[in-house]
Formats: sequence, C-alpha cells, structure tokens
Amino acid sequence: MEAPPVTMMPVTGGTINMMEYLLQGSVLDHSLESLIHRLRGLCDNMEPETFLDHEMVFLLKGQQASPFVLRARRSMDRAGAPWHLRYLGQPEMGDKNRHALVRNCVDIATSENLTDFLMEMGFRMDHEFVARGHLFRKGIMKIVVYKIFRILTPGNTDNTEALSLSYLVELSVVAPAGQDVVSDDMRNFAEQLKPLVHLEKIDPKRLM
Amino acid sequence: MRPFLLEGGSVSQMPVAEGKSVQQTVELLTRKLEMLGAEKQGTFCVDCETYHTAASTLGSQGQAGKLMYVMHNSEYPLSCFALFENGPCLVADTNFDVLMVKLKGFFQSAKASKIETRGTRYQYCDFLVKVGTVTMGPSARGISVEVEYGPCVVASDCWSLLLEFLQSFLGSHTPGAPTVFGNRHDAVYSPADTMVQYMELFNKIRKQQQVPVAGIR
Repeated sequence: MEAPPVTMMPVTGGTINMMEYLLQGSVLDHSLESLIHRLRGLCDNMEPETFLDHEMVFLLKGQQASPFVLRARRSMDRAGAPWHLRYLGQPEMGDKNRHALVRNCVDIATSENLTDFLMEMGFRMDHEFVARGHLFRKGIMKIVVYKIFRILTPGNTDNTEALSLSYLVELSVVAPAGQDVVSDDMRNFAEQLKPLVHLEKIDPKRLM
Repeated sequence: MRPFLLEGGSVSQMPVAEGKSVQQTVELLTRKLEMLGAEKQGTFCVDCETYHTAASTLGSQGQAGKLMYVMHNSEYPLSCFALFENGPCLVADTNFDVLMVKLKGFFQSAKASKIETRGTRYQYCDFLVKVGTVTMGPSARGISVEVEYGPCVVASDCWSLLLEFLQSFLGSHTPGAPTVFGNRHDAVYSPADTMVQYMELFNKIRKQQQVPVAGIR
C-alpha cells in the first residue's frame, strides 16, 4: 500500500517530505554531442561528470494491490561510494498547470550490503539495468543524459546491450513539499533546450 | 574502535548490598571510574526500536515473521542502523527512519518494545567508557557498560588490554569475549559490530524479569 499523498502534508512524523520534480525527454544517439554542447554552455561551470551506475528495482508484495517499490543504485566506476536507496511515491495528481511531474521521494545512502538486507526484509528483485551517461547541474536543478543498458545475464554487469538508439534526458529537482515555483524554473530552463530536446511531464501510468 | 559491552542488569549480579537500585549501582561504577582518573565528556544514548513483518505480508512471502531492529547511536548522529538477528546490519543515513514511516503497511513497530540506554561518557587516556541505564518506557531494566579502545581497529590485537582495563573497575564482573567476533578476530572493527552487541544486550535485558527493587524510577 502506498503512503497517502504528501503535497498537503509538508511534514510527516517530524521530518520534511521531499518531492522530486521531473521533466523527461529523449534524443537520438547522433544528437547527443549537440545536446551536451548546449548543456555545457547553459549549466554551472564544472568538470564534465560522467557516471556508470547499476540500478536494481526491488518489490515487496503484500496483500495490498500494489507492491512497495524500492530502487537500489550503486556506482560501477567510483569505488567506495555509498549505495543509494530510493523510494518514489505515486505522482501527485493536481494542478494541471503544474509543469513538472511531482512525487514524494526519500533518498538514503547506505552500506554495501543493501541488497542482502532488502532480501532479508522480504524484497525481491524485479529488474535491473545499467545506466551510463553525463551529469550537469544548474543551481538546484540536475540534468542527466544517459543510455540504458539491458543486463543479459542476471547479476553480470559486463554483459549488456543498449536498450535503444537514444539517450534519456531528465531534468529534476528535489525540494521540500509545497515549493511549486520550482516547476516554473524548470520549465524556463527546458525552453532553452528546445528544439534539441523536448522535455515534458510524462505520467508513467499512461505508458502502461 | 574496539567496543565491548557488559550487562550488569539485575541487582543480584552485582556485588552490592541488597536493596541497591540500578541508579545507585550506576553511581558506584561512575565513581570508581572518576577515582581512576577518567574525565566526564558529555552524554550518550543508544536506542532500539523493533519492527515485525505485518501479517498481510507474511502470507505471500511464506516465511515466519522476522524481527527487524532499527537503532541509533549518539556517537554516530547522522546514521541509522538496521539489523536482523543473525543477519546483515545495514548502515544508512537518518532518512532510513523516514522510509520506515512509508513502510508502515508492511512493517509494524512494536511501540512497547522500544528500549534505550542513556548515560555519561568518560575518557580515560585512549579508552572511552560509557555507562548507561537501560530503560524500557518508564522503568530502568539494567546497566550497560561500553568500552572502546581508540587506537586499535582489529579485535584480537587488543582484547587482553581491554580485559585488563575492564577488571580495574568492574572487578569480578568482567565478562568473556563478545560473540560478535566469532571467528573474525582479525577483521577490522566497525560501528555495526557495536550495534550488534547492543542489540544482543537489549534482547537479553528484555527477556529478563523486571527487577523488583525499591527505588527504581
């Protein structure tokens, strides 16, 4: 059972609810360089940052209709980095004028035995993938351009194949609940990336 | 870090006159430490909440309900420790507590079983000693003594030194080597090992009869 919508509850149990604001789009492989070039110009000045991550999605099934989903992510190219455990709630329905997808998120850094621990809790892995790409920042906005790779044999991250001939582009902000002005800033930034990429609010439920 | 834990729970196990309370026994221990020359250095707190798999999840997983412990240690204020008995111990940041709120439908907290130990920290040269009163709700249930030897990170290398130091203020109540080392004597010690010891100590105290001694607040 998912937790109840949190937009109206900035604080739950003494802690501030954080929301992820998200816009997504994609570019074909051959347009990658132009997009990276534009992003380098628009974003904060920093060393170009690439990443290679392995993400596993775990489900906990109860008698409730929908299982509880947790995402465990580890870096494959940064030794010693903590694992990243993420919970994402259902997209908040509401203001059609809101420009970005909004959902509750909880991000937790953990030790390396995360997958063993999740299994002990009763979670089972549903699927996994490898993500390779570039990371940019502009203030509190994070822009990632990455390619998803399917893992051919479970657990073997060396044997992968690209899922498509394109790169996924995501513009996201993690901010306390109630700060909808964030989505206006995101929309303004997204305008500057047109026509290279069209970033939109994509409701995952409509894809299923 | 080389922590070790002793439980001097029920009054009957300590060499004090009948009728002494948990608090009085703690005061005796701390006075001994101060006479040795240890310096007070603030306070500490270790707490533990117990969660069990909700009945609705059991059926589909087909396994007996497991107990999961979520603990905090003031020595590591930005961390949260989650563990299963004889299972893995996860070290996470404090957002893990927020996640447990989201998991309410699957893991229920047994509120009555929240247990914690609070007390004073003492520094004596390279040793850090924490003497705490273990409480469940309003009642004091025992005493925890944690000793850390800072310079050493491998268990087997300094166990005898720790033992000698413990004997200097615990006398005949010095215990044997903690089971958490098992066959990993040469492994590097980590905070998770401390939390496993506290979990075992808390479980032992929970199972004990409540001590019927006058004067326990």
